[in-house]
Amino acid sequence: MSDDLPADLLPLRPSVLHILLALSQGPLHGLGIADDAESASSGAVRLGPGTLYRALGELSDAGWVLPHDPPEGADPRRKYYRISPDGQALLAAELRRMEALVREGRSREALPERA
Amino acid sequence: MNRPPDAGRIFRMLTRLLPEAFRRRHAEEMAALVEHRLSTSPGAWARARVRASAWMDVVRTAVGLHANRRMVGAATRAPWTTLRTQGGDVDGWTRDLGHAARRLVATPFFTLAGVTIVALGIGANATVFSVVDGLLFRPLPYTEPEALVSIYQDSDDGEPALSSFPAYRDMAGVEGLFDGVAAVSPTQVSLETDDGVVSLYAAYATASYFPVLGLTPARGRWFGAGHDVAGGPPAAVVSHRFWRESMGADPDAIGGILRLNGQSATVVGVAPEALDARGAVLTPDVWLSISATVVGGGFQVANLERRQDHWYDVKARLAPGVTVARAQAAMDGLAERLAADFPDLNRGRGITVFSLTDVRVHPQAQSPLVGGSVVLAGIAALVLLLACSNFGNLLLVRGLARSPELAVRRAMGASGGAVARLLLLESLLVSLVAGAVGIGLAVLGTGLLARIPLPTEAQGLLGSPVDSRVVAFSLGLSLLTGLVFGLAPALRAARADLADVLREQSRGSSSGRGVVLVRGALVVVQVAVSIVLVAGTGLLARSLGALAGLDPGFAVDRTAYVRTSLSQGGVPPEEYRVVLDELLAAAGALPGVSAAAAASRLPMQDGSSTTTLVEGYEPRSGTGAVELPLAAVSPGHPETLGLAVLEGRAFGPDDIVGGEGVVMVDEVAARRFWPNGGAVGGRVRRQADPDAWLRVVGVVSSVPVEELGEAPRPMLYFPASQYTPSTVYLVVRTGGDPASVVSALREIVPGVRGGLPVLGAGTLSGHLGDGLAAGRLGVRVLGAFSLLALLLASLGIYAVVSFGVARRTSELGIRAALGASRERLTRMVVREASVTVLVGVVVGMALTLLAAPALSGVLFGVAPRDPVVLAGTVAVMVGVAQVAAGVPARRAARVDPVVAFRVE
Repeated sequence: MSDDLPADLLPLRPSVLHILLALSQGPLHGLGIADDAESASSGAVRLGPGTLYRALGELSDAGWVLPHDPPEGADPRRKYYRISPDGQALLAAELRRMEALVREGRSREALPERA
Repeated sequence: MNRPPDAGRIFRMLTRLLPEAFRRRHAEEMAALVEHRLSTSPGAWARARVRASAWMDVVRTAVGLHANRRMVGAATRAPWTTLRTQGGDVDGWTRDLGHAARRLVATPFFTLAGVTIVALGIGANATVFSVVDGLLFRPLPYTEPEALVSIYQDSDDGEPALSSFPAYRDMAGVEGLFDGVAAVSPTQVSLETDDGVVSLYAAYATASYFPVLGLTPARGRWFGAGHDVAGGPPAAVVSHRFWRESMGADPDAIGGILRLNGQSATVVGVAPEALDARGAVLTPDVWLSISATVVGGGFQVANLERRQDHWYDVKARLAPGVTVARAQAAMDGLAERLAADFPDLNRGRGITVFSLTDVRVHPQAQSPLVGGSVVLAGIAALVLLLACSNFGNLLLVRGLARSPELAVRRAMGASGGAVARLLLLESLLVSLVAGAVGIGLAVLGTGLLARIPLPTEAQGLLGSPVDSRVVAFSLGLSLLTGLVFGLAPALRAARADLADVLREQSRGSSSGRGVVLVRGALVVVQVAVSIVLVAGTGLLARSLGALAGLDPGFAVDRTAYVRTSLSQGGVPPEEYRVVLDELLAAAGALPGVSAAAAASRLPMQDGSSTTTLVEGYEPRSGTGAVELPLAAVSPGHPETLGLAVLEGRAFGPDDIVGGEGVVMVDEVAARRFWPNGGAVGGRVRRQADPDAWLRVVGVVSSVPVEELGEAPRPMLYFPASQYTPSTVYLVVRTGGDPASVVSALREIVPGVRGGLPVLGAGTLSGHLGDGLAAGRLGVRVLGAFSLLALLLASLGIYAVVSFGVARRTSELGIRAALGASRERLTRMVVREASVTVLVGVVVGMALTLLAAPALSGVLFGVAPRDPVVLAGTVAVMVGVAQVAAGVPARRAARVDPVVAFRVE
C-alpha cells in the first residue's frame, strides 16, 4: 500500500472499486462507467444512478478521479472523468489486498480451482 | 418500443429529495442512465425493476447525502451490522431499514396485526381530517382570499343573511373601501336537453364577481358591463365540470345556447377547474348574468329593484390597507342611511362584514360546522388512541420476547443506540405502511361519505376528496405514532442490562413490574374509551327508536308525491293557478288515487315563514309580531294527508283571488294564540301587508313542521288559490301501494305542460325515512367506531391475560400439581384481568356521565344518562371482556404440570 494513503480507506465499497476499475481503462462518462461495471461483473453489479454519481462526486472531491474534457463530437452535456495517480494507487492497493486474500484462500485450499 | 423511454415523473420527483447542488450537477445524467437501462431492458417486468431500483437508489442516496455520511471510506462497522450487508452500498440507517423490513416479513402475524390496527386508526382520522379540512381550512381557490369579505344584511330576525340587490348597489357605491363588490344569488334552473329536462344549480352573478374573487375563466370570458343590466343579452358561464361532463369538453361550446326555464342564454365562458373541488353547492353548474334574470321569471327581474327581497350574497375585496373593522364601520353608516331612507323596510336592519377566512359558508352554518367537526375529530382521535395503545402493547410484547436476542446483539458489540435504532425503525416501518393503507381507507371512506344523501343546500359538503394535504396529514400522523409508541420499547431495549435480561430469564419471568403496570394502563384506556363510544351509540340508537316509533301525525302509508316548479317550467305567474288546477285534476284522475292535493311544502321540511300579527295576541318579545312557518295548500290537503279538521272548515272552491282573505291554523297555533278558544273567526295579518287582515276559517291537527321530534310549533296555511306557490308538491292518497303511482305521477307533470321539470318524487314513507336518515347515519358511524373500539379493547384484554398466563406457567403448573382444580386456576388468571377491566369500566362510566349531557341536543325521548343504556353498556363490556379473557384463561387451566416444570 502506498504510504500517503490512509490505511482505513480499505476495503473499498464495491461501487467505488468498480468505478475506479472502469476508469483504469481510460476516460469515460457516467453512463459508460455504469455499463463497464455491469459487463465486468457479468451483470452482477448495477450501479444505481444516485450511488454512481454520489460516488463520482466524492471521488472527485478526494482527488482520486479528475474531470476530463469530452472528446470531439461528444454530447456536451455528458461529463467525462479520468482516474488520477492517487486513484490508481488506491485501486492497486485494494486489488493487492484482494489478491493477498485470494492467495491465502488458495493456500488453505478454501478456493478450489475451477474445472 | 419506438418512443425513447422516459425516466418518469416519480423518478424526477424523487430526485427533488437530493441536495440542491447535487441535483443541479447530476440529475440530468442520472435520468439519462435510467433511460439507457430502460431502453436495453426487454419486457415490462424488467423495466419495472429498473425503475423501482432506480427509485430506491435515489432515496438511499438522498438520505445518505443529507446525513452527510461519506461512502468512500472504510466499510468497517460493528461486526453484527456488517454480517448482513451483502456487499451493497448502504450505510447504517438504510442497512438497518432492510434488516427491519426482513424481520417484519419474518414475523407476519405481528406485522399484519400492527399494520391493521394502526391503519384503522389512521384511516378513520384521515377521513375525518379530509372532511373537516374541506369544510374549514382548505385554502379557498381565490386570489389573496384574506382580503375577501362577505357582507350580509340582517334578516327580519336580526340574523346576518342575504342582501337585497338595491342594497348591494349601495354597498358597491361606498367610496374608498373596496377594490370591488359583487353579488351572487344561488338558484335552481331547468335545462332543456335532448333527453328531457334536468335541474341545474345556478347562480345569478354580477360582472364584478369573478374579478373580485380573482378568478379568470378557463376558456372564453366572464360577464362584462353590458351583462349587468336587465334587458342586456342573457349570458352564461358554465362550470368546468359541467363543460366536461355535459358538453363533452367541446372547445366550440362557447357561443352555444343553453335553453333554461324556456329562456335562452349564450355561453360566453368556462369557469376554472379549481372551483369544482368545492362541491355543487359552492360551485354551481352555471353562472347566469344579471341580464339573464329573465330565466328566473318576471319576479327575478323585478327583484333587482325591490328592497324587500333579500336574495343576494355580497362578496367584496377590501382595498389595500382597509381593515374589516373599518369596512364594518362604513357599513354601519350605510345601514343607518338605509334605515332613514326606507324606514318601513330597513329600520333596525344591520349590515355585517365577515372575513371570508372566518366565515366560509354562512355565519349561521359556521358554528354547527365547527361544532360537528370537533365532535367528529374527537371520536376519530379516540379511535386512534385505542389503536395506538394496542400497537404499543404489541411492541412491548415483542420487545420482551426479543430481550434475549437484543442482549446478544449488545454482547456482540452493538451499541444501545444501534439496538434502539433497529427497534424504532421496525415500529416506524409498520406505522408508515399502516399510514399508506390508512390513506387507502380514507379514499374509500370519503367516497362513502360523498354518497350520503344530504339536503340539497348541503349537497357535496362532505364530498371533499383526499388530496395532498390529507396524505401529508396521514403520513405525519403515522410517523408520530411510530415514533411515540416505538420510542419507549426501543429506549428500554437500549438501556437493558445484559445481566438483568439473563437473570430475569433464569427466574422464568421476563417482565418487570413497570411493564405490567403500563400494559394494565393501556387496557384501562381501551376499556374506558369503548365504554364511552358504546354508551353514545346506545343513546343515539334508543333516540332513533323513539323517533321511529313516533306517530308523525300525517298519513304516511298511502301517500305519494311529485315536486315541480312552475317558474322553472316557464309558466308565467298569471297562469300558475290554471296549470296547478290542471295538475291536480290529472293527479286526481290517476287509477288508484282517492284524493289529490297541492302544497308548497311537505311536513318535516324546511320552508318559508312569514312575520305575522295575530289580532288580540301580544307576543312576549314585545315586537307585536311572530315569525310563523307557512304552507300554501289546496282544498283537498287535510283529507289527502290525513289531517283532522278540528274546528271550522278546510279551504273550499269559494276561497279565490278577489274573495275574502282566509287562512287555516294548526292546533298548536289555535291553543297558543287563542287560549280561550275562538280561533275560527280570529284574524291575522302579514307584517308585509298592513291592510290585508285574513280570517281564520279552520283549525287542523298538527304535523312536525321541520323535523320529527321537534318541539310543537304553530303553523299557518294559506289557500293555494290565493297564494299560488311557484314550486309545488302534488300529493296523492292511494288505495294500494303508493310506490306504484310514483312513476305515473312523474309522467303527468310534463304531460300537463311541456317543459315542467320533475324536481323529485316518492312516497311519504320514504320522505319520513329521509327525516330519520341523519339519525341513522349517526348511529351507524358511532356504531362502527364502537365496534372497532370493542374489538381493540378485547385484543388488549386477550393480550394481557395470555401474557399473564405465559408468565405464570410454572406457578400454575405447581398449583395444578398440588391439586388446584381447573376452575380455580381459570378464576385465578381471570381475576387479575378483571381488576384492570373494572378500573376501565369505572373510568369509562365517569367519562360517560360527564360527557353525555353534551348529547342532549340531539337525543329524543331518552335521557342522556339513561340507566338502561348505561347498564347495557357495562353488560356488553363485561361480556366482551369475559370472552377475551376466557380463551387464554382456559389454556392456563390445561397447563400440564410436567410441561410447566420444563419451561425452567
